[in-house]
Amino acid sequence: MHKTRRFLIGAAIILAALAYLIYGGMREAIVYFVTPSELKGQESSSKDKFLRMGGMVVAGSLQKDPPNLTYRFQLSDGAQSVPVFFRGIPPDLFSEGKGAVVEGRIGPDGVFVASTIMAKHAEEYSPPPQGKTSTPRSFVPGQEEKRP
Amino acid sequence: MTATIGHASVIAALLLAVWGIIAPVIGSRPGRERFYASTRAAIMGQFFLVTLASLSLIYGLVTTDFSIKYVAFNTTRATPIYYRVTGLWGALEGSLLLWEWILIIFSGLVAWIYKERHRELMPWVLMIFSIVSAFFLVVLGFVSNPFESVFPVPADGRGLNPLLEDANMMTHPPLLYTGFVGLAVPYAFAMAALIRGKLDEAWIVTTRRWTLTAWFFLTMGNLVGAYWSYHVLGWGGYWAWDPVENAAFMPWLPATAFLHSVQVQERRRMLKVWNLSLIIIAFSLTIFGTFLTRSGILSSIHAFSSGPVGTVFLVFLAIVLLGSFGLLAYRADHLKGQPELDSMVSRESAFLLNNVVLVSALFTIFLGTIFPLISEAVAGVQVSVGAPYFNSVTVPLFLLLVFLMGVGPMIAWRKASWDNLRRNFLWPSVASLLFALLLFGWNVRDFFPLLGFTLLAFVVLTILFDTALAVRARHRIAGEGIFSALATLARKNQRRYGGFIVHLGVVLITMGIAGSMGYSVEREATLRTGESLSLGRYRILFQGLKGSQQPTHFRVEGAFRVFNKGEDLGILSPALKFFPAQQSPVGRAVYRSNISDDLYLILSGFSELKENQATLKILVRPMVMWMWVGGLVIFLGTIVAVWPFRQKGRGWRIED
Repeated sequence: MHKTRRFLIGAAIILAALAYLIYGGMREAIVYFVTPSELKGQESSSKDKFLRMGGMVVAGSLQKDPPNLTYRFQLSDGAQSVPVFFRGIPPDLFSEGKGAVVEGRIGPDGVFVASTIMAKHAEEYSPPPQGKTSTPRSFVPGQEEKRP
Repeated sequence: MTATIGHASVIAALLLAVWGIIAPVIGSRPGRERFYASTRAAIMGQFFLVTLASLSLIYGLVTTDFSIKYVAFNTTRATPIYYRVTGLWGALEGSLLLWEWILIIFSGLVAWIYKERHRELMPWVLMIFSIVSAFFLVVLGFVSNPFESVFPVPADGRGLNPLLEDANMMTHPPLLYTGFVGLAVPYAFAMAALIRGKLDEAWIVTTRRWTLTAWFFLTMGNLVGAYWSYHVLGWGGYWAWDPVENAAFMPWLPATAFLHSVQVQERRRMLKVWNLSLIIIAFSLTIFGTFLTRSGILSSIHAFSSGPVGTVFLVFLAIVLLGSFGLLAYRADHLKGQPELDSMVSRESAFLLNNVVLVSALFTIFLGTIFPLISEAVAGVQVSVGAPYFNSVTVPLFLLLVFLMGVGPMIAWRKASWDNLRRNFLWPSVASLLFALLLFGWNVRDFFPLLGFTLLAFVVLTILFDTALAVRARHRIAGEGIFSALATLARKNQRRYGGFIVHLGVVLITMGIAGSMGYSVEREATLRTGESLSLGRYRILFQGLKGSQQPTHFRVEGAFRVFNKGEDLGILSPALKFFPAQQSPVGRAVYRSNISDDLYLILSGFSELKENQATLKILVRPMVMWMWVGGLVIFLGTIVAVWPFRQKGRGWRIED
C-alpha cells in the first residue's frame, strides 16, 4: 500500500509537470487559421491571437520597396480582402494573383502585420511553359520574372 | 518488360509471404520440422523476388524506360545516372519498395545468421517478418504500384524535385528507412517471445546489437536529414518541427528509451512489460510515420501527394497495435512477480527516469503533431502548432535527460552508497559549478543556455573522471600505459565505453543545438554593387552577378566577398537556380563553417535591369558544426559498442 501510494504520488507529479509544460507551450505557440472573411469585422477580438491567414494576393495591390524590403498588399478569399504589411524577404513563389499564407497579428489600424509569408507550393511539377526558355534578367520575390 | 518482371516479382513475393505466415502455424506441432525449413525458404524466396523487383525498377530508372509511370515522373533524359538511381526513393511508390527491400534484407539476414539457433523463437520471428512484408507487398501490388504503365509513352520524363538533387538525399532516406526497418528485428523477437510465452531475457540479449544498429541508423537518418535541410533548403535552419520531421524523430525516442531500459531487465529482470511496450510503440511509430507522411493528412514540404495509401497504413497500424498489445495482455500472467526498485538512488531508477522523460518527450511531440487534427475534429477550429511549442516543451525535458546522462552510467545498481556518490560525482559536480561561474563571467547569463552548458560539462566530466579512475586502476594493477589501458577497457567493456563515446557525441550535438538556437543573429538587405553589409564580426561586400547555363537549369549567382574583422576570407556565391519546369527559382544558399560559427548567405532576389542589385540575407549561427562532428563521434561510439572483437577461444561473436 505504501509503495503504491508513493508510485501514485510520483506519477501525479510527473503528469502535472508535463501538463503544465504542454499548456504553457500551446498557449504561446498555437496559431489560428482564419480566412480574410472570418477576420473582417473581428479585428479587435482577434487582436491578441497569433493568426495564420490564407488567400490570394490581389492582382495590382502589391506595393513594394525592395531596398527597405517592405511589402504591402491585399490578401483576398474572393469575398473579402485584408491589407497586409510585411517586412523581410518573401519566399520565391510569392507573387500577385497567387495563393499565399501569412502569419502574424492584426494591428490596431486593421492592417495584418505578417512576420512570415508562406507561398503555396504547387503539388506537382508542371511541364515547362511555352516561351519561358530564355534566361532571367531579374528576380524579385513578389514579381513576375522579367525575361527579355 | 521490365515492369512486368517487377510487378510479377511483387505478386509472387506476396504469395510466399502468405505462405511464410501460414507455415509456422502448421509447423508448430511437434514432429513437423520441415515446416521450419519451409518458413525459412519463404523468407529467402521473398528476399530474392523483392531484390529482383527493386533491381527492375532501378534498371527502368537508369535506362529511362518512360513506359513506367514512376520513371516518367521521376527522371528525365538529362538526369545524371546517380540521380536516376536515387529516383528509387524520390517518390512514394519507389520509397515503399525500398522500405520493403530493406525489410526483407534484414529478415533474410536474421534467417541466415540464426539458422541453427533460437529454434523455439525463430519460426515466429520469421512469421512476423512475413506479416509486415505481406502488408508492404499488398500496398506495392495493388495500392501504389511502382510498375504502373503510362500510355502514351512520353518523350521525356518530368524529373525529380530539384531539391532532392543533392548528395545528402542519396543517403538520408535509405539511412532513415534502415533505422525504421531495423526496429522490426527486436519487435519480431519480442512478438515471438510473447507468442511462445518464453519471456526471459533471451529475446533482448539476442537483439541487442540489432537494436543498437537500428538506433544508429535512425540517429544518422535524422542528422543527415537536418544537414540536408541546412545545406539545401536554404532557410538557414536544420529543424523546423515539421510533421514529417517529427514522424522521423518520434521512433527515435522510444528506441532510445528501449536501449537503456533493456539493460535494467538484463541486469535486474525488471520492467518486462515496459520493454515489450516500448518496442511495440517504437515499431508502431515507424508505421505511423509513414502514414503521416504518405496520407497527406498534415501538409508538409516533405509529404508526397495523397492517395488511398494513408488509409491502408492506418488499418495496418490498428492491426499492429491491437495484435501486439492483445498478445501482451494475453501473456500478462507470465509477466508478474518481478523484483521491485530497492532505492530511488540507483541506476535502475536513473534509467527509469530517463525512460519517463523520453516517453514524455514523445507524448508532447506526438500531441503537438496531431493537435491540428484533434482541434479540427473536436472543435472545428483550424489551428497549427508552431515550432515555439516544441522548443519550449522539449528543452526542459532534454536538459533533464542530459543531466541523467551524467548520472545514469556512474551510479551504482540497486542502491547507491554515499561512497559511490562521493567518489563518482563530487569532483565532476564541483568542476561543472566552477565552469558555470566561468560562463556567467563570460556573459552567458540566460537561464537555459547557462544550465544547458553546465549540465553538458557535467556529463563530459563524469565520463572523463570515471574513465580516468579506471585507467589509473589498470595502470596500477597491470602496469599498462594510458592508451593501452584505454584500449583494454574499451575491448573488455565495449558497451560501456562505446556508450560513453556515443554520449559524448550527443553532448556535442546538444551543444550545437543550444549554441545555434540561443545565439543566432541575422540581417537582410538589398545591395548595389560595391555596397556592403555588416553582421557581428563579418562584413559582406557585394561584387556583382553572374549567370550561367547549367545542364538542367539556369544559374544566377552573386559574388560576395567576406571579411572577418578586416581579414579577407574570399568569395561566397549564393545562387538562384531557374529550372525550366518550375515557376519559381530554387535558392542555393552557401555557408562558411568554422568551429565557433557558421556564416550563412542566402540570395533571395536580384536585378540587372537598371543596375546590378542583390537582395541578401545573412545569418551567423554559432556552433552548428559541432552537431555534425557529434554525428561522427556517435558513429565511432557505435562501432566500439557493436564491433565483434575476436575473443580468445570464442571465435567471432555475432550475438550478445
